[in-house]
Amino acid sequence: MIRFEEVTKVYQGGQQALNRVNFHLKAGEMAFLTGHSGAGKSTLLKLVAMMERPTSGQVFINGHNLNKITKKQVPFARRDIGMIFQNHRLLMDRSVFNNVAIPLIIEGYHLSDIKRRVAAALDKIGLLNKLNNMPHTLSGGELQRVGIARAIVNKPPLLLADEPTGNLDPALSLEIMRVFEELNSVGVAVLVATHDLGLIARMKYHTFTLKQGQMTQDGLSSTDLQESEFEPVI
Amino acid sequence: MSLLFSQRKSPGAASNVPGHRLVMYFIRHLQQALASVGELWRMPISSLLTMAVLGVSLALPTTLHLLLKNSEQLRGTWDNAAQISLFLKDNIDQAQAQKVLNRIKLYPQVNEVEYISSTQALGEFKQLSGFGEALSYLDKNPLPSLILVTPTSMYSSPEGARELLLKLQQQSEVAFGKLDITWLEKLTAIIDLLEDGVYALGVLLLLSVVLVLANTIRLSILSRREEIEVLKLVGATNDFIRRPFLYTGIWYGVIGGLIAWICVSLILIWLEGALLTLADQFSTQIVLAGLDFNEFLILITLSSGLGWLGAYLSVMRHVYEIEPENQL
Repeated sequence: MIRFEEVTKVYQGGQQALNRVNFHLKAGEMAFLTGHSGAGKSTLLKLVAMMERPTSGQVFINGHNLNKITKKQVPFARRDIGMIFQNHRLLMDRSVFNNVAIPLIIEGYHLSDIKRRVAAALDKIGLLNKLNNMPHTLSGGELQRVGIARAIVNKPPLLLADEPTGNLDPALSLEIMRVFEELNSVGVAVLVATHDLGLIARMKYHTFTLKQGQMTQDGLSSTDLQESEFEPVI
Repeated sequence: MSLLFSQRKSPGAASNVPGHRLVMYFIRHLQQALASVGELWRMPISSLLTMAVLGVSLALPTTLHLLLKNSEQLRGTWDNAAQISLFLKDNIDQAQAQKVLNRIKLYPQVNEVEYISSTQALGEFKQLSGFGEALSYLDKNPLPSLILVTPTSMYSSPEGARELLLKLQQQSEVAFGKLDITWLEKLTAIIDLLEDGVYALGVLLLLSVVLVLANTIRLSILSRREEIEVLKLVGATNDFIRRPFLYTGIWYGVIGGLIAWICVSLILIWLEGALLTLADQFSTQIVLAGLDFNEFLILITLSSGLGWLGAYLSVMRHVYEIEPENQL
């Protein structure tokens, strides 16, 4: 699904974020991406989302080389990727419905389809009753789930989540992870960047670990990770 | 249509049937046009202030245009004031002069003739010049007899009158003729100059409309930076993002144009009262021409076009600039 080949990213000013990174997230797979802050997690996700371009090397999604995607094509390519953010990035002046509907409006769906799909997405994350609420009336966990609903509303085959549980307590975090697992069970590939090692430990998924811009442990499971020199970040 | 996943289908998205796609395209445009009205309505005071600024900026060139249009009309009536003075030779007596008069009267180009004898002329001169008694010391009347010729309207333009003058001068009794249109030519030159000035001023004011709008839209874009970033993250094209701003610009222009029209209409009503007294004194009738329907349409089209242009300049710079970065 996502394949990195010798990907290096050097930012303007010489800061090297990624150094010859190779990894492969298989189709329909769910995996964690971890590492200290500054290790390059965000950069890696930005490369997948085409918010940055690699300095060298290649990124593939579903076999398509992202280097060949032109600037004009980027918006269309992004419609295949659902993105979830630490601070949910909902538009606070619009209702839950209008937030979740954005990707569908962009793609030009009919209003009847939009209503149906938004309801389905909100139902999946258990917030159908909050359809007409404004975001400021929701709790942190609920906001994050609305963010997930927006990411999955047009059923993308790939989900990227950047610290989706960063602002949540452990119980809520687990709840969010269950949503991801559920999506994964119907074939959506999920890549979750997090430094919440406790969370990773509780779930048995592939973990890609970045350290100073290099992929140090590719494909190790969470149990292996706990035995490593990695210290949990609280 | 999926770019990365060819097998992926989005059944609800705009279908691939060309006709249907076109219809959806217009429906979406209409939706965004209406949505941008809602956007303006959200901050009615500041929107209205901007529209008022545009309206006033547009009212000035419109008023100047009307000024030109009306002076143009007035000039049309003055053109008829072209009059030819034919000075007769000294040795021509009254009877001969009468003959000339009759002959000229038959010219198809001539509307009216008037004979002023040298004695009449002297009397008039005595009365008007204020030399009075001093003139009676002259042993001989120095003034020639005069025939005043008013050409028909066809020949009252500067060129036509000049042509007629040449013909009349060929009469053997005529010493020389004079066409009194230099003042008209001077007036024409002055109006032409004013016209150029008005156009220059108009261009400046229209430019100010564009700049005001570009700045308003810029602020609007920057205040919605977060929204634009999110839209880009979920796959909105620049076209999609900039469309509401362009429509906002057009709405600003349309309503600014309407305000300008209202301003100009009020100015006209106000001026008409003042003009009535002026017309009374000149014992003529002056009717102020307002904007006709075509001009009104041009005003609205122009102002909405300027609104679009201002928004476009802003959008090209700022919407493209905003890229989601700080966080994924």
